[in-house]
Amino acid sequence: MQAPLDTWFEREILAHEGALVRYLTRIWPNRDEVHDLRQEIYIRVYEAAAKSRPHAAKSFLFTTARNLLADRIRRERIVSIEAVGDLEVLDVLIDEVSPERWLGARQELKRVAQAFDRLSPKCRRVLWMRRVEQLTQKEVASVLRVNEKTVEKHLAKGVRLIADYLFGSKSTSEATKTAAGEAQSERERGQHQD
Amino acid sequence: MDSIRIEQAAADWLIRRDSGTWSAADQAAFDEWLEPTAHRVAYIRLAAAWRETQRLQALGAGTAPGELPRPNEWRLTPFFSPRRQIGSRAAGFRPPPVRLALVASLLIAILLGSAWFLLPRGDSYHTAVGGTQGVPMADGSKVTLNTDSRIRVQLTARERRVQLEQGEAFFEVAKDATRPFVVAAGTERVVAVGTQFSVRRDERGVRVVVTEGTVRIEHGDGAMTEATPAMIEAGSIARIAGEGVLIQEKPRDEVERYLSWRTGYLVFRETPLADAVAEFNRYTTQRIVIEDAQLAGVRIGGNFKSTNVDAFVRLLEEGFQITATRTDGVIALRAPRQ
Repeated sequence: MQAPLDTWFEREILAHEGALVRYLTRIWPNRDEVHDLRQEIYIRVYEAAAKSRPHAAKSFLFTTARNLLADRIRRERIVSIEAVGDLEVLDVLIDEVSPERWLGARQELKRVAQAFDRLSPKCRRVLWMRRVEQLTQKEVASVLRVNEKTVEKHLAKGVRLIADYLFGSKSTSEATKTAAGEAQSERERGQHQD
Repeated sequence: MDSIRIEQAAADWLIRRDSGTWSAADQAAFDEWLEPTAHRVAYIRLAAAWRETQRLQALGAGTAPGELPRPNEWRLTPFFSPRRQIGSRAAGFRPPPVRLALVASLLIAILLGSAWFLLPRGDSYHTAVGGTQGVPMADGSKVTLNTDSRIRVQLTARERRVQLEQGEAFFEVAKDATRPFVVAAGTERVVAVGTQFSVRRDERGVRVVVTEGTVRIEHGDGAMTEATPAMIEAGSIARIAGEGVLIQEKPRDEVERYLSWRTGYLVFRETPLADAVAEFNRYTTQRIVIEDAQLAGVRIGGNFKSTNVDAFVRLLEEGFQITATRTDGVIALRAPRQ
C-alpha cells in the first residue's frame, strides 16, 4: 500500500517536474547542478507536506524552488548576484514556464510509449519482456541468455530514463543525446562482454 | 552529484524488489535505506515511472508473445494490421532459437487446451427480454448479458473474441497480456487487457462504458490505415455512431448508473421521460408509448426495478398526473388534462 503522502507527491509535484526543471535551467547558471537542486527542492516539499499538506501544490513547489535558489545565492556565493541577475528574476511567473497538467490516461499512454521508444534496443526489449509479457527477471535472463545482473542493469537504467522522459525533465534534444549515449556505452559494454 | 548516485541506488532497489527474490532481510535493509527523505523522494519518482510502464500492456494487446513493436510502429502490430509482416526486429537482438521453441510449445499447449471448448463458430448465448445472465468464460473472464442480448464467444490462442450481435453486455476481463480480449460490435472493435467495461449496441450506435482499466476502440471496418484508435480509460463513456467517437469522462457514480442494470435496477437522474421509457421498453414485451410530445422532455429520477414496468407507470400516474391507458400490451402515456 502506498502512503497517501507519496501518492500526493506523485500526482501534485512530480507532474510539474518538466516546468520545474525548465525554471531551474533558465535561472541557474550551472546546469550540472540542476539535478541536485531538483532533488533538494523535492526533499523540502516532501518534508513540508509531511507536516501539513499545502493547498496549491504547484505554487508551493515553485515558492520552495525560489527560496532554495535565494538561499543558495545568499549563502554560498558560488554565483554572483550579477550572474543570476536580480533576485526578482526568481519570480518569473510560474505560468510562463508552460503550465503543465497531469495528463489524461490517453496522453499518458502515448507519452509512456514515446519514452519507451527512446530507450536503447536492449533496454527496450528487456523492459517489454518484463512489463508487457510479464516474464520474471529470471525468465528474461534465460530467454536472452544473459545473467540476471545484466537484466537488472537494463531495467534500472530503463526506469531512470523513462522517469526523465515521462516527467519531462529532459528536453527532446537532451533526451535523444542521452539515449544515444546510453546506446553507445551499451554497445561498448556489449563488446567487452562478448 | 550526490543526487544522481541516490537516483541510481533508488533504481537498483526498485529493480531488486521486482526480482522475485526478496527476503525479510532485504525488506528491512530497504526500509532503512528509504528513511532519509532524499532517498524516499527519489524512490517515489522512479516507482511512479515504473508503474507507468505497465500501461504499455494496453499497447501490447494483440502483439504475439516474443514480438516487440518497433519504435513508432505501434499501430503496425499484427493486431492492427493482420496482413502486414512484422518480421524485422531490432537488428542484432534477435531472440535465440530457444525462445522460439518456448513460444512454439506454449502455443501448442494453449491450442490443445483451447480445443476442448473451441467450437468452430464459437459458443452462443442469449437472454430473453427482461432477463440477465452471467456467462463464465473458460479463460476466467466473466460476461453479464443484459436484456434481449446475444453474444458469440470464440477463444483462440491469439485472441479472446466476443461478438456482440445484439443488446448489451458487461465484461470482467481476466488478465492475459498475450491474448487480447476483443469485443466486436458491428464494425467496431473494443480491445481490453484486464479491465471492466460494458458494450451496448442499439439503433443509435455503440456505447462503451469503462469502469476499470483501459480499453481501446477501433473504429471502422478494418481499413485501419489512418484512423487512430481511441483509448478509453476508467470513468469514461464512449459513444460511437457513424464516423464519430465521442468520449465523455464522467464521475464514478454516473458511470455506475449506466451499469445499474446488472443489479436488476434502472437508475435515472434528471433523465428525460423519453429516454427512461426507451430504457424500460428494452426490458419488457409491453410497449410504453408517449402520446403527447410535451411529455418527452419531462425529467424524472429514481431507482426502478427494470422488470417492473407497472410500478414505473403507476409512479408516473401518481407523481405527474400522467394518464396511462393499457391496451393490447401497449401502454399509452398522455399529459394531464387542464
